[in-house]
Amino acid sequence: MTQTTTFDALREGDTIDGPSFAVSRESIRLFCDASLDYNPLHLDDNYMKGSFGKTSFGGIIMHGMNNFGLISRMLTDWAYPAGALHRRLETRWLKPVKPGDTIRPQGIIKSKQATAHSRWVVLDVLVSNQNGEKVAMGEAMVEFPVANAA
Amino acid sequence: MAQAQAFETDFWKDANLRKTWDEIVPGVPRKTLPYTLTREAIALYCKSVGETNPLYLDEEAARKGPFGGLIAPPSIHILLMFSCTPADDWMRSPGTINAGQSWSYNIPARPGDVIRLEARALDKFIKRERLFVVHDNVFFNQKNEVICSGRGQTIRPA
Repeated sequence: MTQTTTFDALREGDTIDGPSFAVSRESIRLFCDASLDYNPLHLDDNYMKGSFGKTSFGGIIMHGMNNFGLISRMLTDWAYPAGALHRRLETRWLKPVKPGDTIRPQGIIKSKQATAHSRWVVLDVLVSNQNGEKVAMGEAMVEFPVANAA
Repeated sequence: MAQAQAFETDFWKDANLRKTWDEIVPGVPRKTLPYTLTREAIALYCKSVGETNPLYLDEEAARKGPFGGLIAPPSIHILLMFSCTPADDWMRSPGTINAGQSWSYNIPARPGDVIRLEARALDKFIKRERLFVVHDNVFFNQKNEVICSGRGQTIRPA
């Protein structure tokens, strides 16, 4: 669908496609520097060969919050041109993302609701890898303030 | 970027000072640090997730936009979580696994904001032999306005 929209035009099931993101050791290192999250999960292959916390990854993994940042980027790129605001994002991680993967977020309109003073869109969000596997999913809310109505 | 240079990137250092799952008491506030958000820190975060929106990066375009000046992306709390906590905070414990997050956004953070975090563990539990902690975090600006608030779960290293 078009990336600029209005509250009235939105329909349940409409989708928003986010940007494709190529994950590399460099992109993960850059996210370390940008987020100040230097957890060895994202830096140290030797550490990641081990099994810990009942989980084994076999090598460094991307920060889960990198998924979160990409979903948020998709939502603001869609909302701001429409005069709308990204108000909430909830996510959980389903599968680790590793160097060499290419991921892409997507949003699906789940419902619309008018409240006493505003208008809200609820979206299911997900991130998929190059094999079509879901690596993260969640839910978001975008507010379409009445004052900004076209 | 003095703050970034001062930041300890070796999360193993002083790891013994951080609270383990056994020692974390739900309800006890975490020690936090005020942090001045800079244009440079916003730009670096934007680069890391491919953000190119002029509202975050172009002062002139941002001034004419809906927020009347440069803002940070909503997800800047990803950086703020580490910039507002000290080296002995248990969020840095090597092996901490993020199990999910939910955040609500009130007003944008802006370059020059002096940001304060109020945070605590709210709950802890064991599920399928994994040690979980539930986190509660609220970021404020220098006017004591809420920027965003969030809840998260991490699996703690055994």
